[in-house]
Amino acid sequence: MFIARLKPLLAVLVITIVGGCGPSVAPSQPTTTAAASAAASPVKGGTLRIGYGAEVDNLNAFTSQFLTDIELTMVEGLIVSNDKNEYIPVLAKQIPTVANGLVKTRPDGKLELTWPLQQGVMWHDQTHEFTADDVCFTWKYIVSPGSEVYNRNSYLPISDCRVQDKYTAVMVWDTPSAIYNGLFEAILPKYMLDGKDIVKYDGYNRSPVGTGPFIFVEWKAGEYVRVKRNPNYWRGNQYPYADEVVFRFIPDINTRLNAVKSGEVDFAQLTPPQVKDAKDLPNYNLILVQQNSWQHFDMSIKTPRGAKIFGDKAVRQALFQLIDRKTIVDGVLEGTVQIADTVAPTTSPFYNPDVKKYPYDPAAAKKLLDDAGWKVGADGIREKDGEKLSLTALLSSADAIGKLYWQVIQQNMKAAGVDIKIDTKDAAARSQVWRSGQWEIQISRWVLPADPSVTGLYSCKGSNNMTGFCDPALDQALVASDQELDQAKRKTLLFKAQELLAEDAYSLPIYYNVNPIVISKKLGNFKASGTNLGSFWNVYEWYLGK
Amino acid sequence: MGRYVRRRLIQMVPLLFGISLLIFLIIQAAPGGPEAVFLENRLFIDPQVIEAFRQRLGLDQPVPVQYVRWLAAVLSGDFGISFTTGRPVGEMIAERLPATVELMSVSFVFAAVIAIPLGVYSAVRQYSLFDFSATTASFLGIAMPVFWFALILQLLFSVQLGWLPTSGRDTIGDGSLFDQLKHLVLPAFVLSIRHIAGWSRYMRSSLLDVIRADFIRTARAKGLRERIVLTRHAVKNALIPVVSIMALDLAGLFSGAVIAETIFAWPGVGRLFVQAMFARDYPLLMGILMMGSFLVVFFNLVADVAYGWLDPRIAYE
Repeated sequence: MFIARLKPLLAVLVITIVGGCGPSVAPSQPTTTAAASAAASPVKGGTLRIGYGAEVDNLNAFTSQFLTDIELTMVEGLIVSNDKNEYIPVLAKQIPTVANGLVKTRPDGKLELTWPLQQGVMWHDQTHEFTADDVCFTWKYIVSPGSEVYNRNSYLPISDCRVQDKYTAVMVWDTPSAIYNGLFEAILPKYMLDGKDIVKYDGYNRSPVGTGPFIFVEWKAGEYVRVKRNPNYWRGNQYPYADEVVFRFIPDINTRLNAVKSGEVDFAQLTPPQVKDAKDLPNYNLILVQQNSWQHFDMSIKTPRGAKIFGDKAVRQALFQLIDRKTIVDGVLEGTVQIADTVAPTTSPFYNPDVKKYPYDPAAAKKLLDDAGWKVGADGIREKDGEKLSLTALLSSADAIGKLYWQVIQQNMKAAGVDIKIDTKDAAARSQVWRSGQWEIQISRWVLPADPSVTGLYSCKGSNNMTGFCDPALDQALVASDQELDQAKRKTLLFKAQELLAEDAYSLPIYYNVNPIVISKKLGNFKASGTNLGSFWNVYEWYLGK
Repeated sequence: MGRYVRRRLIQMVPLLFGISLLIFLIIQAAPGGPEAVFLENRLFIDPQVIEAFRQRLGLDQPVPVQYVRWLAAVLSGDFGISFTTGRPVGEMIAERLPATVELMSVSFVFAAVIAIPLGVYSAVRQYSLFDFSATTASFLGIAMPVFWFALILQLLFSVQLGWLPTSGRDTIGDGSLFDQLKHLVLPAFVLSIRHIAGWSRYMRSSLLDVIRADFIRTARAKGLRERIVLTRHAVKNALIPVVSIMALDLAGLFSGAVIAETIFAWPGVGRLFVQAMFARDYPLLMGILMMGSFLVVFFNLVADVAYGWLDPRIAYE
């Protein structure tokens, strides 16, 4: 029923652009990041200076609203996701599977997952050892009602966590879940947090204690977080190579690039429009990390008008064919990204290349609209039964790229008699409207973990189904895929789900997002990962060469 | 004078009370609460988690209840807990104040030292080449967008010349006085430009008015030297409106500069305000805005008192 191990789920496409490779940035020639990094043997010592964006809220991996890059230098979990989009064990010795005998079905139908743990791992204070007690403590905290852990619902099928012995934790799952191997990306120290109100406990949230390669030193508000080498790191004395890592908060993107240009940082995150300015820097490599993330065009049927217009599949398909994704990708994003036709990235084993595609085809779109009864009115805008085909696009004021591609779409659609108005709201306001379903059309991004489950987005009752669309057949395929631990069967289900998604025309994928990073040519062993756990998963082996 | 100041201080209480109510309502009226930001950042989110979050922050209560709770806490000296960091608002602001006061006071003093002589000299040599140049430069200074000018200076002094750091308050691990000064130069200069431009204009026009007054002619007629006429009689009187403008700008010493602090990654109150605004961190926003309001009201009083000192004709009794 289960197979040995989930194969590499998605391989991250990493495109390396070495200085002076010409004017256009083509994502067609993936190379490994190893080529980007100074080869040769690792060098010990040095301070890694990271040019980070906005200041984070806290350093608790479970409750922070930010990516957990900083946390992962100090804190470790049972698993982490690597550069190949696989979940790999960290504090767990092995990830339980049926084949290795660590996933068992009990007589009552529940699953028992046995997690063997690393032995002799000490928490940073060197007085307490990491044990199965900490694992079960972490589970208990996450599932507690007020825990505010962002993906708490993924943990709820776990009905019990048992300490079998000091180095073995056993978890009981009431229903099978294909994403079990992506949970517990951090483990909390029980000795420190037992009896504390963890959500509010500054003693941990601003100075976390973990088992990781670096130890917290200081957090200067508005300036930086600084961590130093853990001399007793459990992977061996040689790790970590660097003496210190400093995350400097530089909120302005232009300043961040200037800090790179003046050599103040070894690593910085940039934005796609900055790629052309950053690709020829003499001492840095630019890496476009393909994210498990895509932009998608949606229509809401949660308003009566929306239901009337977008309830007709012909209209949806016509709108899809009026979006010139090639111009968006080549023009607005200067060829740094790839067009997406489905939700799974091209490098994923779950990527289905044979879904229905919607190339830019104004003639076909016009015919579809004509046939559906939307006739061009006197003002050049189509109308049907007194309703104008004039649509309002919801956009976040922080979305600089969105402003550009909506101009392209606006023009494309206008030529076909579809009027687009753009309603720009600040990020929080947009988010509220978006969640409420009280909007007409929009483009935004979704981000997936290493696992490609999209049930929450497209199932009828999915907690992130903002459009209101519901297809029972799609629902069935999605829910079944989440409970299927057999890789081959799961693939069939997810392939079917992708076909249905495209056929239903509920959502048009536009392009896969990339995250441009510049790293110093001295930085070795950097292996970019496009998952939600980010690229710091192997920071213990990063080094600064000469 | 003492009675006047006391009366003004007492008047501040209802004024600040009204301001707090107004700010609270405006903040609440902005669409999208803190949970919307939560959703914006972590795109996959459990609806029950959002409810727990709202409950903990008291956001499930009606707005009047939230306001009364906030006011009651403030009256007992507690500005509340930040929604994003879970830390006391007072502590978070206090942490940022030194950086803001340092930056703003340096740029303030620098601007004053440049602007006043500049204005005086322009007035004395009205319509000279110097006056025309200073006027043109001032208009440029007023019109120049801070974000653009800041980035240009970064490109020149950090990227091209490599003399100064682009951003931050010190080099981590260095922290010497010289290092801190180097970090201060660009943001302080950018911030002072606007003050220099504005204040020197006020100084010039004010002095031009005074120079034509009767008492100046009298002073000259007495045979006083031009230098004495200018410094002891004209400039002191011309300073009156300038000082009141400067005193009002003093409030900014504490509330910081939103754009410059963000661009230069300066850990001040202005940047904290931007963060709080985007995160809809109501208690932190209230804390920062109330501090700013108090200071504006307070420095208004200071300006009025300074008037009395500079101009004996103004008496407060």
